[in-house]
Amino acid sequence: MTATSLETEARSSGMRRFVRRVLFSEYLVLWLSVLYFLAVLPFVPQMASVEVLRNILSDMLPLLVVAIGQTFVLIVAGIDLSVTSIIAMASVVGASVMTGDGGYLAGSPLAVPAAMLAMVTVGLAIGAFNGFCITRLGMPPFIVTLTTMMFFSGAAIWFTTFHTTTSSIANLPHGFVVLGQGNIGGVPNSLWVVLAVGILAHIVLARTVLGRRLYACGQNRRAAAVSGVPVRKVIAAAFLISGACAAVASILYTGRLQTGTPILGQTILLDIIGAVVIGGTSLFGGKGKVVWTVFGVLFLVLIDTSLKMLGLSLFSVFAIKGAVILLAAVIDAVRTRFAARI
Amino acid sequence: MKLTRRQFTLATLMAAGTAGLPVYVKAQGKKTIAVLFDGLYSPFWVAGLDVIKQDLTKRGYEMVQAISDKDDNRQFEQVRAMLARKVDGIIIVQTDSNAVIPAIKAANDARVPMVHFNRPPAKTDAFSVAVVADNRSITNATVEHMVKVAKEKGGKYKAAILIGNLGDPNAIGRRDGFFDVVDKNKDIIDVVARIPTEWNADVAFAGLTNAFQANPDINFLFTSSDFLFPQIVQVLKTRNKFQPIGHKDHIIFGGFDGDAMAYELLKDKYLDADGVQDLFKEAELAVNAIVDLQEGKTVERVLLDPGFAIHQANLEQARDRMWGYSIYKQKNG
Repeated sequence: MTATSLETEARSSGMRRFVRRVLFSEYLVLWLSVLYFLAVLPFVPQMASVEVLRNILSDMLPLLVVAIGQTFVLIVAGIDLSVTSIIAMASVVGASVMTGDGGYLAGSPLAVPAAMLAMVTVGLAIGAFNGFCITRLGMPPFIVTLTTMMFFSGAAIWFTTFHTTTSSIANLPHGFVVLGQGNIGGVPNSLWVVLAVGILAHIVLARTVLGRRLYACGQNRRAAAVSGVPVRKVIAAAFLISGACAAVASILYTGRLQTGTPILGQTILLDIIGAVVIGGTSLFGGKGKVVWTVFGVLFLVLIDTSLKMLGLSLFSVFAIKGAVILLAAVIDAVRTRFAARI
Repeated sequence: MKLTRRQFTLATLMAAGTAGLPVYVKAQGKKTIAVLFDGLYSPFWVAGLDVIKQDLTKRGYEMVQAISDKDDNRQFEQVRAMLARKVDGIIIVQTDSNAVIPAIKAANDARVPMVHFNRPPAKTDAFSVAVVADNRSITNATVEHMVKVAKEKGGKYKAAILIGNLGDPNAIGRRDGFFDVVDKNKDIIDVVARIPTEWNADVAFAGLTNAFQANPDINFLFTSSDFLFPQIVQVLKTRNKFQPIGHKDHIIFGGFDGDAMAYELLKDKYLDADGVQDLFKEAELAVNAIVDLQEGKTVERVLLDPGFAIHQANLEQARDRMWGYSIYKQKNG
C-alpha cells in the first residue's frame, strides 16, 4: 500500500469518526442552534438584542412544558396528539372558574388556585383516559389521542358557549395573569414553573425506577414485561404525565393571553412533536432526555423568531419549519441505523 | 488545529456579540409598518392586505407582514417580534377580540401605534384605534331589501342564517342586524336554521347541508360573509335550488362583504342583495390613523365605515363603490 492511499484512508476514517461524533453528540442541536443564530444575525441583527432574547425565552417556556410531557410519551414509543385539545379544554375550564364575568368562584380568593387545580385535573383526566384506552383496551396511541383531540377540541367550544356569548372567556384575575405574563427583574415568572417541571421531569427520567422502566418499555416492551416491568402502568403513567404537562402549559398560555379560549394551542402540535424530535428523542422509543427537548424547543423557537423578524409569509415559515423537522427525523433514522451497526 | 468544546463555545459567544453590534448602528431608513393578519382565508382579507400594501408603498412606507393562521398566541409573539424590530406602527386583524388585549398593551408600552383593521378589540383600558364597518346597519339594509322582495313575492318564508365566529364582533353585528329585521317580520319569516360556521368553509358546508336535510323548504338565506358563497352554491345546486330571480324555486339570497363573486351573482341575478364594506375607505382610514398617531395627532378610538347595501335595484349605480366589482373588472377587463 502506498503512502498516499494510507493518507487518504486515514483522512476518510477521520472524517467518519467526526461525522459519527457529531451525529451522536448530545449537544448536536445546541451547536446547531448557535450556528443558526450566528448565521441569521447579519440578516436580523436585532436577534442579539436583550428584548428579542427575552422574547425567545418567554416564547420557549409554555412550549417546553408541553414538549417535556410529549418526551415521556415518545420514550415509551407512543405519541400524544391530544395535548392541544387538553390545552384548549383546560383553558376554558380554568377561565370559567375564575373569570370576573360570572365565573363559578368570581371574586373569591380561592378562584385562582381552584381554577389551576381544575386545569390540572382536566389534563390528568384526559391523560388517564388516553392511558386506559391504550393499555387496557389495546388501542393504538395514534388513534386514541387523535379521537380525544377531536372530541375535546369540540367539547371546549361547546363548554365555552355556556359561559359567554362570544368565543372566549376574558376578565381573568390579576393573580393568574401574572403567571403567564409577569416578570421580576426581566425574568419571566413562568420560568420558575417551567424550571420546576423540567427538573422534576429530569429527576423522574434519570434517577427513578419509573424512569428506567419508561426507557425499558420504549426499547422493547416484551423484554420489559419479561423482566417484571409493569408495562401497562408505566405506559399509562407516561400519558398521565403528558396530560398534566399540557395542563400546566395551558395555565401559562391562558395567563399570557389573559383569555380562556377554546382554540388555544390548536395549531402548535407540529411544534410540540417537532421540538421533541429535533432535540433527539427517538420516534421509535427508548431514547430521550429532558435537556434534549430543551435544545429542540430552543432551536425551533430560534427559527420561528428569526422568520418572524424577517417578515416572511406564514407559508414560508411552515415550509421551512417542516423541512427542519423532516431533517431531524432523517437524522434520527440515520442515528438509529448507525447505533444498530455499532 | 484541534478545537476544544470550551474554545468553540467562547468563539461562538464572541462572534455572536460582534455580529449583534449592527443593532446599535442600524441606519435610519424608511419607516416600517407591520401588517399582521390572522389569515387570508377570504377574498376580503386578500384584497385588504393588497390595498394596504399599495397605500403604504405609495406613501413611502416599508411594509412587513405576518399571518398568524388564527393562532392568538402566535399573533401575540408576532406583535412582540415586530416591536423588537422597532416598527413604527402596527395594523392588525386579530382572531379573538379578548386575546388581542395583551398585544395592545405591549404596543402601548413600546409607544407604537396600533390600528385594528375591520375587527375591533374587546373593551379595554389599553389604547388602540379600530377601523370597523357598521356591520349591523349594513346588514339591516341588506336584509330589509330581502324582506321587501319576499313581501312582493308573497307567501311565508323559512329562513336560514350562516353565522360567523362569535369571538369576532363583526359576526355578532351581522347576526344582530339580521335578527333586527326578521324579528319585525315574524308574520312572514320563520328562522328555522342558525348555522354556526366559525368562519370555516367546511363547517359552513356541513351545517348548511344539515339545515337543508332538516328543512328542505328553506327559501330565505343570508350568509354573514361572501367567502362562503362557493359552498352555499354547491349545496343549493345539489338540491336544485340554485335558480335565478324569477324562477319559482329561487331562494331569496343575501350576503355580506361585497366581493367579486357577490358581484357576479348579483349580475347573473342569483343574489338579491349584498352588504358592502368599503374596503378602500377602510384601508385608507387605517393608514391615515397610523400616520396621524405617529405625528401625535388625536384619533378617535373607532373609525366607522358606513358601508351600503347593493341589490338588483341599485346595482348599476352602486357597483363602482363595490371593491369586488374592481376585482371583477381587473379579471374580466
